Amino acid sequence: MEQVKRKNFFGKISFKDQRVLMIAVILLITVVVTIISPKFVDIRNIVAIFQQISVLGILTMAMALLLISGGIDLSIGNIMILSGVVTSKVIMGEGSVTLAITLGLLTGLVCGFLNGVIIAKSRCLPLIITLGTSQIFFGTSLMITGGQFMNFSRKFDFIGRTRIFGVFPVMLIFLIVMVAVAFILLNYTRFGRRIVAIGGNERNAYLSGINIDRYKIILYSISGVICAIASIVFVSRLDSITATAGSGYELRALTAAIIGGITFDGGRGTIGGAFIGVLLLGIINNAMNILSVWPYAQTAISGAIIVIAVILSNLDNIRKDRR
Amino acid sequence: MSFAYESKTPLVEMINISKSFPGVQALSDITFDLYKGEIHCLVGENGAGKSTLMKVLSGAHNPDGGQITINGDSYPALTPRLSQELGISIIYQENDLIPSMSVAENMFVGLEKTTRFGLLDRASTEKSAQEEVGKLGIVLDVRRKVENLSVSEQQYVKILKALVLKPQILLMDEPTSMFNVKDVGTVLALTQRIAKQGISIIYISHFLKEVVQIADRITVIRDGLVVNTYKNESRDMDLDVITMDMVGRSVDMFYQKEQHEVGEIVLCVRDLQLTKDSPKISFEVRSGEILGLAGMVGSGRTEIVRALTGADRYYAGIIEYKGKSLMLHSPEDSIQAGFAHITEDRQQLGLMLGQSILENMTIVGLGRKIKNFFLNIKRHQPLVEPLIETLDIKTPSLFQEVQNLSGGNQQKVVLGKWLFAESDFYVFDEPTRGIDVNSKAEFYRLMSMLTKEGKSIIMVSSDMPELISMSDRVLVVRKGEIAGEIPHDEINEERIIKSALGM
Ligand SMILES: Nc1ncnc2c1ncn2[C@@H]1O[C@H](COP(=O)(O)OP(=O)(O)OP(=O)(O)O)[C@@H](O)[C@H]1O
Ligand SMILES: [Mg+2]
Repeated sequence: MEQVKRKNFFGKISFKDQRVLMIAVILLITVVVTIISPKFVDIRNIVAIFQQISVLGILTMAMALLLISGGIDLSIGNIMILSGVVTSKVIMGEGSVTLAITLGLLTGLVCGFLNGVIIAKSRCLPLIITLGTSQIFFGTSLMITGGQFMNFSRKFDFIGRTRIFGVFPVMLIFLIVMVAVAFILLNYTRFGRRIVAIGGNERNAYLSGINIDRYKIILYSISGVICAIASIVFVSRLDSITATAGSGYELRALTAAIIGGITFDGGRGTIGGAFIGVLLLGIINNAMNILSVWPYAQTAISGAIIVIAVILSNLDNIRKDRR
Repeated sequence: MSFAYESKTPLVEMINISKSFPGVQALSDITFDLYKGEIHCLVGENGAGKSTLMKVLSGAHNPDGGQITINGDSYPALTPRLSQELGISIIYQENDLIPSMSVAENMFVGLEKTTRFGLLDRASTEKSAQEEVGKLGIVLDVRRKVENLSVSEQQYVKILKALVLKPQILLMDEPTSMFNVKDVGTVLALTQRIAKQGISIIYISHFLKEVVQIADRITVIRDGLVVNTYKNESRDMDLDVITMDMVGRSVDMFYQKEQHEVGEIVLCVRDLQLTKDSPKISFEVRSGEILGLAGMVGSGRTEIVRALTGADRYYAGIIEYKGKSLMLHSPEDSIQAGFAHITEDRQQLGLMLGQSILENMTIVGLGRKIKNFFLNIKRHQPLVEPLIETLDIKTPSLFQEVQNLSGGNQQKVVLGKWLFAESDFYVFDEPTRGIDVNSKAEFYRLMSMLTKEGKSIIMVSSDMPELISMSDRVLVVRKGEIAGEIPHDEINEERIIKSALGM
């Protein structure tokens, strides 16, 4: 009988596990880069890496939850931007920061809810629907901003610049809390188990008496709120926002989740894995900057590393010829 | 137990239920009832409408017309949720578990246990799950993932999942079709035990002997209509009467294979090792021979035949076919060499569920028989039609999606696909699972015909009568090893079971 271990943060640990391999890849990169340039493991650089991945990390949590439920949301980047744009509009209109954040979160909720309702009720592919709604959100941001930069005149500084003990930026708390929330939601709540069930076999879940439509709508709404939270971190770092700033985030979040062992079929994957995926992407980018790689080559190199990482993690299946 | 039916009101009454699908009237005006503590068996040919009737009761299908009365309340239709709330629980014929989840998690989908703080309580979930397993009297670690279980273990999970709901009414759609004798016994005992506790059971099966053994009443349905309902108080219902009702003529259930001489050795397997640590296996098969593979669940029969058909890689060994040594790296190699492989699990491995009967039946044959580059699949229709006829596949058209067929008819498509390919050597893994008596006899006739042409068959089967009447020789597999060989005139149930259990 196969060995069954208790679930922990990373699920069952085994060397055939994609996540273990990814950690190995991360360690390998760290060692190599540190030998060339020791400042890579400097505490300030490590904090910088986490700062650089904080927005992507939060967005990836939304993507991970959706993928595990058998869904996908390609509008997360633009939901984030629209929430940020709404927040900035309130701030520029002399509204309070609290009101601005509340309306921003509400915007995320509404966008996610809209995605959820359309996907649940129309039974159309979420891939296509969210490609469309993504354009709607993007367009709305364009209309609100008139294509201009929106400035926050340092109203969000306390999140972006404040550091606990002088090193630990407040924005990292957002990231850590979101990862923890996603982890608990997925593994330790009834809601989470039902999401996994829906992703694993929607028909079975339906026949087990689960209201599929309701769960989908709630999950997409949660995902919208997560995007809005990401937008708070986003604007606090840059102190400004434009409508076009969100492009590419959805694909990077998708990449991170898949590198971390989450599949397109749904029903499998862990939050810990998704987080490792984000970390890998962050480290690759940071390492290339530290090593002063020619900027135009960086994109191609990071693409190549992703492909290699994914192939490595699939070696077991290739060896067994399993299809 | 006998029932004074007249004096009681039924717990469930389904009145004039009808249901149609495009091109099929699955149920027409069916009236059916169920009393408290009763085992009511439902029999009929493949596609008669048995599963559809159960799905109406479980809320998976909305009927077109009719009325369902449960405990005195009437409903025009049920939903899965409502049906559960009314105490109805169903074991579906299809395998519908969530592969990526553990046994315990699967059992409690929709009923997740939480702690005082609203968080999931894994420990107590696993504990209750393991308790249920214990009550059934089987060995199964509830923390294992469903995707790593064998088909029959999965069947147990389906049963367990239905039981955790603590149902008042239990619907069992072919619960034993995946099982061998020992496990069938477990399920039959369970069924009788819970009926004694006052739970009402509707039980569907193609094993009529089982049915007669446990039924209080037996209802035969044909083409969506009730033909007859019989009381079976003394457990002695005449099987002939039932088959007459089912097919409209009597069927010889104990098919007698015509005997003929077997020829030369065609397949020779020497020192086959599936993995590095598994035992070495050697055997041979002659032309025109049917070699039966017997054994308990998980004994390793499926793994052996999967290696033969290139579905799994093997570690070491020599497979010689017609004097040539074969290197089987993939199913393609095996099919090229002339092998046919009917897989154990029709839904996941045997069929493209979303595609038509025609596409499914011709997929293998295309490579072997039809070599044109450009295809017009409609032209293949006349080639397939005779097989549809012989196997009696019930469908409005050849373009029907396979997932819309009844369970037994899906299995017939799997058979048809490999018969169409006209291979030389057939490997059958539980070929007649879920097939009705009549079509079974037809399939056995086809098997005999193949062997008469000098083709050989390896048949893994848990269906004892089938194994006994069809095999020329039986190999018993135990723990991945060949534990015994039984020559033709010594094949009987006792020998097989003793050898399989290692007694
Ligand atoms: N979803 C569906 N779409 C179209 N036709 C269907 C669907 N479900 C069932 N049918 C048809 O309804 C008829 C009755 O099917 P049903 O599954 O009830 O048969 P059954 O008696 O359970 O047969 P078996 O013994 O093979 O399981 C069949 O002709 C089948 O093809
Ligand atoms: Mg059926």
